[in-house]
Formats: sequence, C-alpha cells, structure tokens
Amino acid sequence: MHRCDVFWMRRSFVLSSLVCLMIVILLIQAACCKESDDDDDEVTFKDFNLNLGDRIDLGDYQMELIEIQSVRDGLVVMRISKVGGSLDEQRALLLDSANNFDGGAQKRGVTITVADIFDEQSAKVRVEYLPGIGTARKRTSERPAAVPDKPELSVQKIFDKSQISVGDEAKVTIIVKNTGTGQAQNINAQDIPPLPEFTYVVGYPPKIKETLDPGESDSAVYVVNAVKEGSIQVPAIVVTYTDGKKNAKSNSSEPLGVMIGPKSKADLVISVADTSPIALDEERLLNISISNQGTASATRIEVTGEVSPSDGLRASDLDKSFFEILPGDEVNYSAKLSGQKAGGYTIHLKASYDGGDGYVIRESTAQVAVLEREYKYQYLLLIIPVAILFAWIYRRYREYKY
Amino acid sequence: MLNVLMLGVGQCGNRILDSINKEAFGGNGASKLAKYYLRPKFPSRVETLAINTAVNDLKELRFTTAKDRLHVPNLHGVGANRNVGKQAFMDNRDMIMGEIEKRGDFDVAFVITSTSGGTGSSFSPLLINELKRQYRNITIITVAVLPFREEGSIYLQNAAFCMKELMEVEAEGILLADNQYIKRFSGDIATAYDKINGMIAQRLLFLIESLDSEMLSVTDLGDFKTVMNGGLRIGTMGFYQADSKNLSIRDAIENSFKPANLLYPANVADDAARAMVIIQGSREHLDVDEITKEIERISASAGHVFKGIVVKKGRPKVLSVFTLASAPELESIYAQAARGMQDEKEKRSRARKQLDDAFAHIEDLEEIY
Repeated sequence: MHRCDVFWMRRSFVLSSLVCLMIVILLIQAACCKESDDDDDEVTFKDFNLNLGDRIDLGDYQMELIEIQSVRDGLVVMRISKVGGSLDEQRALLLDSANNFDGGAQKRGVTITVADIFDEQSAKVRVEYLPGIGTARKRTSERPAAVPDKPELSVQKIFDKSQISVGDEAKVTIIVKNTGTGQAQNINAQDIPPLPEFTYVVGYPPKIKETLDPGESDSAVYVVNAVKEGSIQVPAIVVTYTDGKKNAKSNSSEPLGVMIGPKSKADLVISVADTSPIALDEERLLNISISNQGTASATRIEVTGEVSPSDGLRASDLDKSFFEILPGDEVNYSAKLSGQKAGGYTIHLKASYDGGDGYVIRESTAQVAVLEREYKYQYLLLIIPVAILFAWIYRRYREYKY
Repeated sequence: MLNVLMLGVGQCGNRILDSINKEAFGGNGASKLAKYYLRPKFPSRVETLAINTAVNDLKELRFTTAKDRLHVPNLHGVGANRNVGKQAFMDNRDMIMGEIEKRGDFDVAFVITSTSGGTGSSFSPLLINELKRQYRNITIITVAVLPFREEGSIYLQNAAFCMKELMEVEAEGILLADNQYIKRFSGDIATAYDKINGMIAQRLLFLIESLDSEMLSVTDLGDFKTVMNGGLRIGTMGFYQADSKNLSIRDAIENSFKPANLLYPANVADDAARAMVIIQGSREHLDVDEITKEIERISASAGHVFKGIVVKKGRPKVLSVFTLASAPELESIYAQAARGMQDEKEKRSRARKQLDDAFAHIEDLEEIY
C-alpha cells in the first residue's frame, strides 16, 4: 500500500472517533438535564425525633410537636403553620397515618406521619415534601421539658419468715409506694388466689388506698397460718391504677418462695456422761443431761430413773422435774451413785414431756459396773513398810556409825 | 524425873558406858541388832557421853550413838601417861565441857573410868572439878575401876595417883569396881571384861531406876548422897536376883552383900560405914516385916542402912550400896604400886649406871675416820 494512503486512512479514523466521542458526551449531558428536572418533581421525606416543643422548619412551613395526647391510642398533637399566615393549624395526628397539609407533598405541600411515640414527651415524625420547597431542618425547643404527670407505683410483698413450720403464723406485708410524678388513681391490689397451704387469719384481702400522691405510700398486713408443709411459690400481688389521663397502668411485686417445714416438735435426748465403772463402796456422781434437739419447747418435763437390778447400786436424785426446755437448750443434773455390791447395773431414765403435740416419752439407759474392791496397789503395802524399815535401819546405822 | 549424865572416860569407861547403853536395849538378852529396831529404854532422862583420846577405842563401841562419842584429839591416846592426859584435857577442856553443856542440866553425874589407864585416870579428876564448877548442885559419883594387879607397875602407879586425886576432888563419892576381884567369875580376860562391864552397867541402871521410882519405902538421891558421904566416901555395890527356887526376900538381901555379888572385895560387917538397900519385886515377895528385920540386922554391924522398896512384877532383886570405913585392899594396891615404882626407879638407876659405865669406856677417846 502507498504511504500516502495509509496517512489518509489513519486521519479519517481519528476524526470519526472524535465525532463519536462528542456525540456520546452530548447524549450524557442531555440525560443529566432530564434527570435534574425529574428530581424537582419527586417527593422526598425525612424522619425527625421530636421532643415536646421541638419544631421542623421546611421552607415557609413550621411544624411543632405540641403534645403526646395518648401513647396508648397513638395520638400526637402538632401545630403546622406557614410564614405569612396562610396556614396555622393544630391537629391531632394518629400514629402511622399520613396527614396532608396544603394538599400534601404531591402538591407542593407537606405530608406528616407520626412514625412512633416513644413516651409522653417524644415521638418520631416523618415529613414528606418536594425538594423544591426547601430543606427540612429540626429546631430544638429552648423551653425546658415539661415534667410529665406520671405516676409510678412500686409494689412489695414481704413474708416476715422465709421458713416456717406447719402451725406457725407468718405476717405478710404489702407495701405500695408512688415513686412517680403524678397521682395514681383507682388503685386496686389483687393478691390472689388465696393459697391452700395457708389459712388466712386476719387482714386478708389486703386493702390499699385508692389514690396515692407522688411519694406517698400505703401498706396492708395480713396474717396467715401454715397448714401444709412444702415449698411454696407465693404469687406476686398485682396493683392496677390509672394516671391523670386515665391511662391504665399496673405493677406487681416480685414473686417469692416460702418453705413450710413440718410442724414444730420438741425432741428431748437424754444422755448420761461418764459411765465408767465404780468401785465397791465408792460414791460418785452420775451426770445426766437432757437436751431439746427439736424445734419447739418441751414443757412439764418429768424425769424418772430406775436401777436394775435394784439392789447393789444405790442411786439417789435420779428423779427430776423441769418446767420448760427451750429448743436447742440443755439442762443438766447429777444423781449420786453408791456401789454396794459388785456387778453390772442398768440405769433406765424416762422423760415424759409436752412436746407441743401432746405428751411424749423418751427413754435412755446407761450401764454402770460396780467393781470388786481393787487391790492393784497392794504391793505398796509391802514395799512401803520395807522401804520404811530400810530407811529406819539406815538411819540407825548412820546414828551409830562412828 | 532425874536428869542423869553418864560419862565414860577412857577405854574402860567407854566400854562400861557401851554396856550401859546395851543394858538399856535389854541387857544381855539384847541382840546385837537391837539398836536397829529398838530404842534404848533408860529409867530416867539419861544422857551418855564416851570421851577418849584414842579414836580406835571409840570405834569399838557398838551400842553408843556416834553423837555420844567424843574424840579428844591427841594423836592416838596418851600412852598411859597421866601427865600427857592432863595436858590433853586442859587443851580441850572447853570443847569437852561444851559437848556436856549441850546435853542440858543434870541432877546427878556418873563419871565412869579406869583408874589405871591414861585418858580415864588423868581426865576424870579434872573433869569432875570442871563439872562441879559448871553445875553447882550436881551430885557426882565416880565409878572407878581398879586394874588387874598383874597389868604392870605403870597401871598400878596410875591407879594409886588417880585414886588419890579422886579422893581430893569434890565428888560425892567413889564406887569401886575391882577387875582383879571380879575376874574370878570368868575364865578368859575378854569374857571377864564383858562380865565386869555388864555387872557395873546392871547395877548403875538399877540404882538410877530405883532412885527415880515411886517406892513403898522411900529412898532418894538425898539418901544416896548421905550414904556416899559416909566413911571414906568410897563404896561399892552388890546385887542379887532371887532364883525361882528361893524367893525369900531375906536371903536375897543377905546375898546382895555377899562377896560373890560385890564389885569390890569388902566385908559389910567389918568395913561398911553406911549402906542403902533397894529391893524390887512383886508385892507377894515383899514382906516388909522380913525386910525390916533383915535391914535392922545389917544396921547392927554396918551403921545406918537406908532401905527402899520398889514394887515391880518379878522375882526379888536387891541392890546394896555401901561406903567403907576402911579399905584394906586399897592399901594393898598402894603398897604394890609403891613397890613397883621403887623397883622401876631402881631398875632405871641400874640401867643408867650401866649405861654410864659403858660410856666411860670411850670417855677420853675421839672418833677416828
């Protein structure tokens, strides 16, 4: 191919490429202009978390959160106004319902939706609008937040004993206190159901004042008697009340467990210390202790003792009376023993007492041996005289030794 | 109760004192081991003290406690030399008197000694003087033992001079015992000594017991002093215990004066100046009439006789104590002693002369080496 032809071929290719590039640029530019026109016509939205008094400014529009009328019903009061006074409206808005002002966002107005109500002080609000009318901005209120008129009741249910026995009485105290800022009204304490493990002696059902001002508390006491043993999960007491806006509220106490043990009884144990053998004709004290290992007092205790066989071991002061032995307490007394005849003897001790559930008898025995006369040191009878004799003789020897 | 001091001076005095202590354990019937299981039983408060310069003589004693043996340090005895003995006593006077003083006060003291030995014969007169000086009211009786005549001239010489000095001191009297006289009762010398010592001990304890007893008929220390002051103030003792065959009290009294039962050869009828008869026995044997008659019979020849009757269960025992108006046996001893001393002197002169003659052979010579 000729060198000049190549040159021309290359030149036409470059030119055609430039033309294509310019066409592409023009097409992109045209598309961008079209998109900009579309944005001005499309509704946008923005969410705001507003406290009471906070305001959203959008162009000439001003939207202020006036009141959370009902959290439960989802009613929020907002005031919408427009510079120039063409719009000034205070409207109750329902949760999740779109509310149009000036024809709504599609018609260059605004559409407001309450998206969420946090509490009686704040809510989440969505504003929809066309971008052309401006940019929505939040204006925080400089007014101090109004203290809400909100009652809060704390409830306590207290057993005075966590462990009781069948037959024991327990005192249940209900304490209700208004820890909120508003008056609690229509207070109703429901301590149900009555438990089969108890009989309700007095004060049930508990009565609490119908209204409690902030900081005020009230209590009620009732007495129960345990009738059945077991581990009881005492249900919580539920207190219902309303605030000043008739909003119904409730609170309950913490559930608690109570252990009901078997019925308290006295349990006397007789023990005899030192039953070592006693020598013939020797006198010795026999120490007897009676301990109450039960959970109730033993009363009118009568202890009697007998020795068998009856001759050979003389025992005195075995019988004894006590009026009361408290649970965990111990009483001691001593009987005098005197060995009269060698042999083995049994001492029977019997204690009868009122254990709180009728008369009870407890018995104990102790073995005491009376030994034959011991002669184990008899060798001393020989050694001592011999030693004395030797000492005497030695002394005499020294006396006469010259 | 009488407070009695018994001093045994010298070997002979020590042995008699030991016999007295043995007698207190039960006399001849006492076992050698009696001192280990018995306490000596004296009739009164009796303190004994054995005094000697020879420690070996003190060691021989068997029934005298160690604390009652006083050794006067002077080598090993005085070698029968009375001059050495007197010097030893004077050198140790305070120590000896201190030991006696420790034993308290006394009513009567018996100084028992041999007249012939060294320590006893030299100590006793001086000791009696010291006792009299220290204890004003004490009655001192010397029990003097005369030697065997064949023991040698020094012993006889000592006896003669000792007796002379004893007569000169202020003692209330001397009771004589003569070894020569008593030894006839025994065969060998050792047995004779034991027998003599036992006889003296028995009589002295009987005397003390009687003086301190409640008597049917009373004799006391005053009577005894009166008896000892009679005659030469030299006396002796006789003793008799009736046997079961003859319990006659008259015979017992009579026998107590017989030579066989005396410590010194004497004839009561001829030599006695004053006498004391102490009779002991069961009441059934003590016929007072018979006793009185017998005493009256003795009194007829022996001068005044004190009688004491002690009622004590047993056969009749009679102790007779009498002082002498004459002592022919003493004269014999003095004569024998004088002869002995003369012989000794002559022997010494002859020996001296022989020695001088021997030396005369070398009188003008000198030693040559």
